[in-house]
Amino acid sequence: MSQVTLYSVAYTLSDDLLRAVGSILPAGPRGLVTSGTAVTALALLVFGAILLAASMLNTILLIWWERKLLGRFMDRRGAMHVGYAGLLQNFADGLKLFRKNTFQPREADSLGFYFGPTAYLATSLMIFGILPISSGWNAGSLPLTLLLALTIFSFAPLFIFVSAWSSNNKYSLMGGMRSAAQMIAYEVPLLLAVVAVVIVAGSFDLTTIVYEQQNYWFWGPLVVALIVFVAGMLAEMERIPFDLPEAEAELVEGWNTEYGGMLFAFFMLADYLRALVGSILVVLLFLGGWTLPTWVPGSLTSFPLAGIVWFMVKTYLVFGLFVWVRAALPRVRTDQLLRVGWNRMIPLALLSVFLAAVLVEVRCLPVFGCVPSAGV
Amino acid sequence: MWINMGPQHPMTHGLWNLRVRIDGELILDVDPEMGYLHRGIEKISEDRHYNEVITLMDRCCYVAGMAWEHLYILGAEQALAIRPPERAEYLRVLCDEFQRLGSHLMWYAAFVQDLGLMSPFLYGMRDRDLVLDLFQSYTGARMTYEYMRVGGVRNDLPPGFTERARKVLDWLVDRFREYDALCLGSTIFRKRCDDLGVLRANEAVALGVTGPMLRAAGMKRDLRKDRPYAAYDRLEFDVAVADAADVTARYLVRMEEMRQSVRILHQVLDWLDRNPGPVLADRLPRWLGAPYAPVGDEGYLLKRHYPKGLGFSSVEEPHGEAQAYVVNEGGQHPYRVKFRSPVFANISAAKSYLIGYRVADIPPIMGSVDVCVGEVDR
Repeated sequence: MSQVTLYSVAYTLSDDLLRAVGSILPAGPRGLVTSGTAVTALALLVFGAILLAASMLNTILLIWWERKLLGRFMDRRGAMHVGYAGLLQNFADGLKLFRKNTFQPREADSLGFYFGPTAYLATSLMIFGILPISSGWNAGSLPLTLLLALTIFSFAPLFIFVSAWSSNNKYSLMGGMRSAAQMIAYEVPLLLAVVAVVIVAGSFDLTTIVYEQQNYWFWGPLVVALIVFVAGMLAEMERIPFDLPEAEAELVEGWNTEYGGMLFAFFMLADYLRALVGSILVVLLFLGGWTLPTWVPGSLTSFPLAGIVWFMVKTYLVFGLFVWVRAALPRVRTDQLLRVGWNRMIPLALLSVFLAAVLVEVRCLPVFGCVPSAGV
Repeated sequence: MWINMGPQHPMTHGLWNLRVRIDGELILDVDPEMGYLHRGIEKISEDRHYNEVITLMDRCCYVAGMAWEHLYILGAEQALAIRPPERAEYLRVLCDEFQRLGSHLMWYAAFVQDLGLMSPFLYGMRDRDLVLDLFQSYTGARMTYEYMRVGGVRNDLPPGFTERARKVLDWLVDRFREYDALCLGSTIFRKRCDDLGVLRANEAVALGVTGPMLRAAGMKRDLRKDRPYAAYDRLEFDVAVADAADVTARYLVRMEEMRQSVRILHQVLDWLDRNPGPVLADRLPRWLGAPYAPVGDEGYLLKRHYPKGLGFSSVEEPHGEAQAYVVNEGGQHPYRVKFRSPVFANISAAKSYLIGYRVADIPPIMGSVDVCVGEVDR
């Protein structure tokens, strides 16, 4: 096998492991254990475990990155004391939340109260299975990866609303209502912006979209789509300036007011997972994914796992942009948010679709170069 | 649907309860409830020596302790017929104006945080700390100063104070520009705050609303000009006024007031440099000089030997017009002390500037009122 992929790593690992286990077993069970089905099943498990660990680790690093950046924007230093430069602070915080008592309000509906955060976290994690991190580093290339990712991504308002409603708290309910209205309103421009990318790339497969950007990254010619997509993502991630579902000034903590301990940690983790997914999608759709422009010297792109490294660098930089926005802007009001969503974002998104169509027709741009012939 | 915003709620900045009747996001009715922080300061004052009441004044409003000390001291001096030396009057103006800076910076921090602006919140707190450092350098405390005395102030400034203070003022003036860029320069901020929480001048006067809220409605009323106390009649400054009567106007008024405070402080610092002198009146009654005599020990005077009198004072506190009424019936304790809190009136008027707006507007509107619950409940 010429190229190392995540699945090939997992397969080799489980194959070696099962062979070792089989060698100490009698012939009957040995055949069962070392059979192709068993190896594949274990490989899938290992694959999932690696993805889970990687996504969790990255999420926690992302929180650290945000805390440090926010600290600097605010003229302070952020987390400092646990671990080097506060790197372990979030693990300590997680441990604290883990040790806390899980409680629910007496009048709350148990089923929804526990189902909401769990499903929210689970769906947020699901997306990582299909996002390509570097060539071959994903579960497999489906023709409709992008569509599937966005579909899973848009489950969230449902679970937020369920947990908000079952909390039986007025603030939670108001936060849930706001969240649902906001996410549904911004889903439309978000998808339209994606359509612009898809028109140019000619595929819903994220790997193909990345390879279509070898001549130029899409952020240049599709800058309108990028703006709409980033704004929509900010709204979907419920970050300032669009964090009104959990606007702490008026709604205490919004839809997660009644949650504490590990259930709150679920929400927190899922929020940052979604932020990570959002940053990854921006990198994949507009910033060339794990590739670098051709004028970059080869030594920068040829070392082992170079794709993953550059991908992470880009992702964290994009998230840094989100943090910058958070540090600089106030929160908008619900009606203003919805008005901007329906009256400004959707026309802009439609414009970006039109521009994409023009781009496909023209094929070559003066500064950026030509669209690869693989497009539509 | 009624919701309780308080007594424990991020919007309240203190301990009070705003009951709100809402339909979706629309505010139909509001009902402010105060009294959670009542400590009986007025009653306790009847049992304290004149100088001991100062300790309680610091606790009245924990972000504007100096202004409340000044308020009480003016009333008590009038009741006891004592005049402070001129340097003490300038020192009191110094305290007042630094306190105004500190209080307004605190307001700025809390207000922008209500809007979701996170960085300016910390900028405001950072810069307020410089003011607190100055306070600490000459009173020894950062919040509860106990600095003023009947007949003057406790001590003079330490050497080198005026230079340090000027440096802080220069730094602050630069920062005000940054604050404006972060707030007025932001479209979202203007969209959130323009035409919000409008309270017109005639209604404000009818409801007893004072301070920056009144001046933001175009009413040029400032006790420092209209009824000058301490050294204000000898200082040059303008009254900050705006016309729009909305949240943005209140922001503008407070920012301008901070700039005017800086202007006043420069004059005061110059005067203090040029005019050394005593800071405490030298012919004080002997029983005032020993304020910590045990309760019940009336000293060497019989009650009928004490002077009697009434004192009424009003001070332009950072939040509005505070008033004090001190009754001296003879003896070492005030017979009765009564305060008028500006914030109490400002909150009580909530019905006229909250109804009709949205739930998300409550934090910025109440933030623009600048609530200090300590003085509301006393």
